[in-house]
Amino acid sequence: MAIIERPTDTPAVVSPDAAPAVATPATSYGVFRRPVETTGWKSWLFTIDHKKLGIMYGVVAMAFFVIGGIEALLIRLQLAGPDGTVLSADAYNQMFTMHATTMVFLFVMPMAAAFANYMVPLQIGARDVAFPRINAFGFWTFLFGGLFLNTSWILGGAADGGWFMYAPNSSVAFSPTNGVDFWALGLQITGIASLTGAINLIVTVINMRAPGMSLMKVPIFTWMIMVVQFLLLFAIPVITVALFLLMFQRSFDATFFSVEAGADPLLWQHLFWIFGHPEVYIIVLPAFGIVSEVLPVFSKKPLFGYPLVVFSGAAIGFVGWGVWAHHMFASGLGPISVAVFSVATMAIAIPTGVKIINWVMTMWGGKLKFTVPMLYAVGVIVQFTIGGLSGVTHSVAPSDTQQTDTYYIVAHFHYVIFGGAVLGLFSGLYYWWPKMFGKMLNERMGRWNFWLTIIGMNLTFGPMHVLGLQGQPRRMYRWTENRAGEGFFNIGFWNLIASIGSFVLALGVLMFFVNIYVSHRKGTQKAPLDPWDARSLEWITTSPPKEHNFDRTPTVGHLDEFFHRKYEDRGEGDHHDYHQVATAEEIVAEEEAKGDSHIHLPSPSYWPILLSLALPIMAYGVIYNIWLIAGGAALALLSMYGWGMEPHTAPDDDYDPPAAGTELEVAAHG
Amino acid sequence: MSSRTNHDRTISDGSHDAHTLDRVSAVNPRRRRRIPGIAAAIGAAIALSACATDAPQDTWQPVGENAQKIHDLQWPVFLTAGIVGVLVFGLLAVTVLRFRDKGQAMPEQTHGKPVIEYLFIAIPAVILAAIAIPTVGVVMALADTDDTECVINVTGQQWWWEYDYEVEDDGTICGFAPTAAEAAPIVTSGQLVIPADTKVLLRGTSRDVIHSYWIPRLNGKRDMVPGRVHYLRLSSETPGIYAGQCTEFCGLSHANMRMETIVLEPDHFQQWLDNELEPYTSPEEGTLAAAGEATFITQCSRCHQVNGLVDDRGTDDPDDDTLVVSYPDQFVYSGAAPNLTNLMGRNTFAGATFDLLTDECRADVWEADPEVFGERYLAGVTEDCLNEIELREWLRNSPAKKPMYADAEMLTETDGKTRGMPYLALSEDQIDELIAYLLERK
Repeated sequence: MAIIERPTDTPAVVSPDAAPAVATPATSYGVFRRPVETTGWKSWLFTIDHKKLGIMYGVVAMAFFVIGGIEALLIRLQLAGPDGTVLSADAYNQMFTMHATTMVFLFVMPMAAAFANYMVPLQIGARDVAFPRINAFGFWTFLFGGLFLNTSWILGGAADGGWFMYAPNSSVAFSPTNGVDFWALGLQITGIASLTGAINLIVTVINMRAPGMSLMKVPIFTWMIMVVQFLLLFAIPVITVALFLLMFQRSFDATFFSVEAGADPLLWQHLFWIFGHPEVYIIVLPAFGIVSEVLPVFSKKPLFGYPLVVFSGAAIGFVGWGVWAHHMFASGLGPISVAVFSVATMAIAIPTGVKIINWVMTMWGGKLKFTVPMLYAVGVIVQFTIGGLSGVTHSVAPSDTQQTDTYYIVAHFHYVIFGGAVLGLFSGLYYWWPKMFGKMLNERMGRWNFWLTIIGMNLTFGPMHVLGLQGQPRRMYRWTENRAGEGFFNIGFWNLIASIGSFVLALGVLMFFVNIYVSHRKGTQKAPLDPWDARSLEWITTSPPKEHNFDRTPTVGHLDEFFHRKYEDRGEGDHHDYHQVATAEEIVAEEEAKGDSHIHLPSPSYWPILLSLALPIMAYGVIYNIWLIAGGAALALLSMYGWGMEPHTAPDDDYDPPAAGTELEVAAHG
Repeated sequence: MSSRTNHDRTISDGSHDAHTLDRVSAVNPRRRRRIPGIAAAIGAAIALSACATDAPQDTWQPVGENAQKIHDLQWPVFLTAGIVGVLVFGLLAVTVLRFRDKGQAMPEQTHGKPVIEYLFIAIPAVILAAIAIPTVGVVMALADTDDTECVINVTGQQWWWEYDYEVEDDGTICGFAPTAAEAAPIVTSGQLVIPADTKVLLRGTSRDVIHSYWIPRLNGKRDMVPGRVHYLRLSSETPGIYAGQCTEFCGLSHANMRMETIVLEPDHFQQWLDNELEPYTSPEEGTLAAAGEATFITQCSRCHQVNGLVDDRGTDDPDDDTLVVSYPDQFVYSGAAPNLTNLMGRNTFAGATFDLLTDECRADVWEADPEVFGERYLAGVTEDCLNEIELREWLRNSPAKKPMYADAEMLTETDGKTRGMPYLALSEDQIDELIAYLLERK
C-alpha cells in the first residue's frame, strides 16, 4: 500500500519496502537559506503544508465572497426601484459580470478547494498531498490571478460582457476598455491553479490512501472531490483554449470571432458551455460531499446507499458533459440538437434526484440532532430541491425559450448555487471548524447565522421566479414602470422584496464573521476532540492536527472507521445493540503511543510563490508592454530551475536545533 | 415601486392564499412550519402567476398558437414539479419530526435496502420519460415552418430592431396587395406590424453582436446572430400590442433595447400597408415643419432615411431635386439607423425604449380592446398626444437619455463610428423645427 514516499534516513516503520524516492543532497540549493520557520509570516508565505494552504484558500475565498457580495448588493440597490440611478449602465454591466466571475471562480471553487486541501489528506490517512509544492503553487496562483482580475477596477474598468462573455460582444470594438483582457488573463491564471490542484488531488486520492482503504471505503466527501477533480481536469483545458482564442482576438488581432472574416460566434458559446456546464457540477459536488458527511454524523447512521451516492456522483460527472447546449436552446441550434440536449438534461435529473432521496433516507430512522452544521445540511436538501425542480422546468426546451435569460433562470441557479453549494460550504465550515481551529463556533450565533441566511436567500431569490415568469430579462441595468404591470405580480413590488431580501442575506452572512469573533474571544473553551461523535478518519487525530497529521498512519477496516473504533455491536441477529468501547481521547492517545518514530515532511520553499508571481507579471505584459512578458518569463524560468533543483527537504543543518521533546522534533525533521 | 391602481382582485387572491398558509402552519409544530410553507408558497406563486392578467411580458399569458403550444407543454411540467416538491418536502418533514433525538437507541448501522434505491431511480425516470416525449414533439412542431404565410426580415443592432418587409414575386407584401401605390419594400423599426390570423415567419440576423427577439405572449425567444440567419414563428388571432425585449446581453444599452409586435385585423393591416407606401409630401412652405425639413436634411439625413425626401435647396428647377439617401455606414458601427419615414405611425422610439405618446394616450392604445385597437393604433401620434418632453430630451442629448457608448474617447477602436445616436449639439430652435417636422411623419 502506498504511503507517503519521502526521503528518510531510515525507512518508515509502516512501509519497510518503500525505498526513498529521491536522495537528499547534503546542502540546500541556491544562495538562499531555505525557509524552515514554523511560526510567523514566513511559515505561511512559504509553507507547503496542505492544512495551512487550506486555511489560506478559505480566508482568501471568504474575502472574495465579501467582495462578490458587495457587488450583489449594489446590483440589488440599483434594481430596487424603477430607473435606478445607483449605478450607470456601464458600471452595472461591470458589476454583474464581476459578481458572477468572483462568486464562481474566486469564492465557491476555492472554498471547495480549501476543504479539499485540508480534509482530503486527513480523510484518507495521509500526511500531505502528493505534490506539496505544487499545492502551494496552486494557492498562490489562484490568489494572484484573483487579485490581477480585480485590479481591472482601478485600471480603466472591469470586464463588462457578462461572465459568459459571448462573442462578438467581447471584441475590442464593443468592449474597448481592458476589462475583458483582465478577465481572460485572470481566469487563465486561476485555471492553472485549478488544473494543478486537480492533478495533485487525483494522485493523492489514488496513491496515498491509508492501508485497508479500498475505493469503496473512501469517505464520500473525498469521493466527490475526486469526481470534481476529474471534471476540472477535462473542463479547464476547454476554457483555456477559449480564453486563448479570446486573448489573441483582442490583443493580437486574430479573427476567431470576427464575423466579417467568416467566423461563427456560436463557436465561443460551445467552447464556453462545454466548460461551463461541468463547471456547475464542479461548484456543487463538493458541497454534496459535505452534506453527505454531515447528515450521517448527526443522524447516527451511515450514508444511505453509499455505493449509489458514489456512482450517482460519478454519473453526474459523465452525463454532465452531454448537456452543455441546454444553455443555448434559444441560440438557433436546430430542432434535432435541441431535442437531444433537452432529453439528456432530463436524464441528469435522475442521479441528482438519487442524492436528494438518499439524504432524506439517511435521516429516516436515525437519531437526529439539529446542530448548526446539520441545519445547513437540511437547508441544502430543501433549497437545492427547489432549484432542481425549477431546473426540470427548463430542461423542457420550448419552456426554456420563455425562461432563459430571464430572472427565472437567475432564481433557479441561485437556489442551486447558493442553496446547494454555499449552504453546503457553510455546513462544512461549522462542522470542521473545531477540527481546523480547535474551537467550536458558537451554536447560538450559528442559528442566527443560519436562519437569517435562509430567510434572506428565499426573500432574495424566491421573488425572482415571479419576476422571470412575468418577463423581466436578466442583465438589465434598469427596469421601467410601464413594463412592470400592476396588481399582485407587478415587477416593482417583487424587485423591492428581492432587494430587501438581499440585505437580510447579507446580515446573515455577517453573522458568520461575528460568530468567528465571538467564538475566538479570549477565554472561550478549547473544542473537545470529537465534538460531533463523528465517523471518519480526520477525527482520529488532534484538533487542529499536528503538522504531520497522524502520529501513526491509521489502518482502515471500515468505511466509517472512526465510528467502528468507538462502537461495538453486541446485538444478535437482527437485534442491534451498540456500545461505546472507546472514547476519541483513548483512540487518539493509542495512536500517539504507537506513533512512527521517523516522520519526514518536505520543507517549505520559496519557489512556488515566486513562480506564481511570474504569471500576473506576464499577464500585465500582454495588456501593457510586451517586455513585461519577457521579465515575467525570466522569473518563471528561474523559479522552475530553482524548484527543479531543490531537494524535498532541507538538510538538518538548515534548521535551528529544536528543543528536545518539542513537536518540531518529530514533525519537521526526524 | 409601481403604482397599484388595480389591486382589487389579485390582491385578494394573495391574501386568501396567505390564510391557507397560516392554517397549514397552525396545525404544524414549530419546526415543521418552514418546509410545507415554502412548498405551498411556491405552489401558490405558480398557481397565481397563471391567473395574473396585467404584466405586458407575462410568459403565462399565451396568445398566439406558438406560445400556446409552449404553455400547454409547460404547465403540466410545473404542476408535476410542484407535486414532486411537496412530496419530497412532506417526506423530509415527517423524517425531521419523527426521528428527532428523543433519547432513542443508536439506529442500525446499515446502508439501506437496494429495492428502495431502485424504486427511487425508477420513479423519477418514469416521470421524466413522460415529460420527455411531448417535449420532443413540441420542439419539432415549433420548428415546422412549411405553412408560413408571410416572411418578414428582422435585423438586430445596438440597440434597436429593424424590420424589412419584402415584396413577394406576386407583387404582394405579406399576402396583401397595395391599393394605390406600387408595392415597394417597407423598412420600419421598433414596432413590428403583422396581420392577425397569419402565420408569420421572422427571418432574423444581426449587424453587430448577438441579440434575441422575444415577444413572450407570442412565442419563445430566438437569438439573432451576426453571420447566421435564424427563424422564429409569430402569429396571433387577437389584435393588440405585444411587448418584448432583447434578451441576449448586447452591451451597454441592452436594457434599452425593446420592441413590440402589433397585430392588426386584415383591413387595418391593409390600411397600414397603404399608408407606409404613400408618397412623401413636404410640409407646407413657411411653416415650422418646413424649416424642420431643412434641419432634418442637414442634421439627421446622413443616418436616418425618410423615403421620398428630396433636397430642393439652391435650385428652382423641380427636375433638379436630389433624392436624399442616407449613408449610416459612414457614421454608425452597425451601419444602420432607424428609417423615420413614418415615425409617428409607431408609438415608441429609440429602440422602443421611450413612448411617443403621453401616458393617457398610451393607455388608450395599449389597453384598448381588440375590436377598437386597430383604429386607435392607426391614428398614430397626434399633436395632443405627443410625449414632447422625452422626444425633446432625446434630441437635446440622446446618449444622456440612453447610454450609447461607454467612453467617447474609445471611438478610435471603431474608426470613429458611434454605436447608436451621438450628441448633435442641436439648438432649441432646431429641436422645435424637428419636432414639428417629425410630427408630420405618419
